[in-house]
Amino acid sequence: MEIKIALAGNPNSGKTTLFNQLTGSRQRVGNWPGVTVEKKEGTLKGENQCTIQDLPGIYSLSPYSLEEVVSRNYLVNEKPDAILNIVDGTNIERNLYLTTQLLELGIPTVVCVNMMDLVKRNGDQIDIDKLSEKLDCPVVSISALKGQGTKEAALKAIKTAQAHQVPRMDKVYAKNVEAALEQIEAILSSSVDNGMLRWYSIKVFERDERIHEILKLKENEKKEIETIIQKVENEMDDDSESIITSQRYDHIGQIVQYAVKKKSEKHALSVSDKIDKIVTNRILALPIFIAIMYVVYTIAMGSTSISIGTMGTDWANDVLFGEIVPNFFDGILTSLHVNDVLYGLIMDGILGGVGAVLGFVPQILVLFILLSVMEDIGYMSRVAFIMDRIFRRFGLSGKSFIPMLVATGCGVPGIMASRTIEQDRDRKMTIMTTGFIPCGAKMPIIGLFAGAVFGGSSLVATSAFVIGIAAVILSGIMLKKFKAFAGEPAPFVMELPSYHLPSLGNVVRATWERGWSFIKRAGSIILLSSIVLWFLQGFGFTDGQFGMVADNNTSLLANIGNALAWIFAPLGWIGDMAWKATVATFTGLIAKEEVVNTFGVLYNFAEVSEEGNEIWTLIARDFTPIAAYSFMIFNLLCAPCFAAMGAIKREMNNPKWTLAAIGYMCVFAYVSSLIVYQLGGLILGEVTFSIWTIVALALLAGILYLLFRPGYKPKTEAIDIQKISIAK
Amino acid sequence: MPLTFAQLNQEYVIVRITGQDKVRAHLRNLGFVENEKVSVIQSIQGNLIVSIKGVRVALDKSLANRIMI
Ligand SMILES: Nc1nc2c(ncn2[C@@H]2O[C@H](COP(=O)(O)OP(=O)(O)O)[C@@H](O)[C@H]2O)c(=O)[nH]1
Ligand SMILES: [Mg+2]
Repeated sequence: MEIKIALAGNPNSGKTTLFNQLTGSRQRVGNWPGVTVEKKEGTLKGENQCTIQDLPGIYSLSPYSLEEVVSRNYLVNEKPDAILNIVDGTNIERNLYLTTQLLELGIPTVVCVNMMDLVKRNGDQIDIDKLSEKLDCPVVSISALKGQGTKEAALKAIKTAQAHQVPRMDKVYAKNVEAALEQIEAILSSSVDNGMLRWYSIKVFERDERIHEILKLKENEKKEIETIIQKVENEMDDDSESIITSQRYDHIGQIVQYAVKKKSEKHALSVSDKIDKIVTNRILALPIFIAIMYVVYTIAMGSTSISIGTMGTDWANDVLFGEIVPNFFDGILTSLHVNDVLYGLIMDGILGGVGAVLGFVPQILVLFILLSVMEDIGYMSRVAFIMDRIFRRFGLSGKSFIPMLVATGCGVPGIMASRTIEQDRDRKMTIMTTGFIPCGAKMPIIGLFAGAVFGGSSLVATSAFVIGIAAVILSGIMLKKFKAFAGEPAPFVMELPSYHLPSLGNVVRATWERGWSFIKRAGSIILLSSIVLWFLQGFGFTDGQFGMVADNNTSLLANIGNALAWIFAPLGWIGDMAWKATVATFTGLIAKEEVVNTFGVLYNFAEVSEEGNEIWTLIARDFTPIAAYSFMIFNLLCAPCFAAMGAIKREMNNPKWTLAAIGYMCVFAYVSSLIVYQLGGLILGEVTFSIWTIVALALLAGILYLLFRPGYKPKTEAIDIQKISIAK
Repeated sequence: MPLTFAQLNQEYVIVRITGQDKVRAHLRNLGFVENEKVSVIQSIQGNLIVSIKGVRVALDKSLANRIMI
């Protein structure tokens, strides 16, 4: 018999850790239908017949957040054979709130109290038997991190499922409430199956807004129920939902008093609180955060003696993809006597293209390791809190900040990180703006122009970040005034887990998940497009004959570039460089690293260093400073690479919004570059007054209008609690 | 008074949660119920980190103002 076990618990209770323990690598990740809440399923190690379904982390089964609705629909409609409810033993009272709701579902349940190592260390005692007696279900204690008792917990769940041992907690609520519930049960008994009666009657009593869609009661039944509810409400002078909530908490309080002995009532500040006093301090919070990020980026991407990431990348570029791999393939290909075309395809096309991307892996991985550590120790949720105040001013929430931080490494995992943002419009806006942040792959573009045209000024790199951030802020303000985004960002509520040491497994897993999405591109889309690109720029028509061309100014790629270059003429991409810049922009869609490579190829250097030092003089000859700047801005802000567009498509989960996001980025990039080139050029005396000057002024006025016009005002209350978020 | 006025590190008792039913219900699910003890650990211009039922929860001003102590 196949057994399905659902894993349910609060955020940060150790669900992911337990899930990984139980299933190892046998996991399938997807989305819950219609929403971008992650759905993870796995097979229990050693028990092929047993599937484990990870549910999103939730605090309750109310209908107020997407995660809660997803979980509860799954539990009610799919009816797993058993629920494995993971409970954080160090916060047992809070965690039991969800437990008592799960126990009302009429599904066999095993409660596993996690973090027993910490409970013991704190000197607290949890009496498992007493807990089991009160909850009327099997209770086990585990330590997911240490792998203690996890297998037993799963086996216990299988046993409970096979015995179909359904918990029956009664006398949870006051006498009159229990009586009312019984009366409601009697009315519902004809339309609901027996096991779910208590759950439904409680939900009906609470006037749960989604229950009536499912139950379809008759008018007279509804009236009868309403009378029952109102009677209790009058007796207790409170609304029915509050009555249930408070009495549930009371009941939990009693259970905890009976089964749990805390060593000491905590009144003093914990270590974690003391850390928070400093790192979330009104004055110190930002400087501390900036200092930490400075260290992080120095280690990952800087050029000092502790910059491990950069050393790795230098080695990968110069040695691995500069000598070892090319020499290896050169040896093989030469000994096989392959013809020149194939040799060129493999050595220049494939190895050149793929190598350029893989060269970034060390930097990106080091950055992601450090970000994962910040996340695992609990600092990231504090960062979201600190940033919330600032981000709220331009219509984003603090939770949008983490995707942007990740995007400085690579936009793909950055966009994926937007998942934790619950409210739909906040998430869409984050997806639309995260791509503006200069990712690791855009750094060489900046390096090329800073070196070639701006005398290596570090101001250029700094200004790239400023442009990215300004694009996020301006977009936030402008988009917020449209109806689709109007309204306050969801109010910020977030549980802050206690600080703790990072766990190697979690850090490795999180780093790998993010890094892999970066590496995967190299083997798929970049491989393919490197081949296409190599073909397009190596072949063409000479004197009406198709074949390999010696001068790539006559290649197919040049033809395409020339045909499209007019689009970018208003941005100042004119003269000899026009088609090259156009082609480089298009190859940038494959991967932004390709931009510099493409210039290298187009200026007839087969191999250029990361920042293209070899072609600096040629670039300086063809690009005026303002044209170079316009090119840089456009490439920093326009549609991201194909891999990131794929991520946008997945996260938006809607073709119209995907197009809107990518279209918006392109238009925003075009308009910004045009304004900078035309007006900047005019001021510097490089550009003369023309019709485009007027266009630029009109566009500038348009942007100012969008920024300062009164926005659309939603009629309903600003706080849309339906979509309120409680991430971890 | 609203929770935003609370002194740091002092224990208060929640007397009432105001606002729309949904907001109240949501805060309750997070542990903010009448007669529960609450203390403010950190306050940054009205945005709070509070201690409730043994856990730390970050709340923005708009929510903190709905919790009366
Ligand atoms: N000390 C200790 N830490 C744990 C245990 N289980 C999980 N953790 C830690 O608790 C944090 C949250 O765990 P996670 O699995 O991500 O929780 P989730 O949000 O429920 O998926 C992680 O940092 C884990 O390393 C445990 O049994 N003991
Ligand atoms: Mg998790």
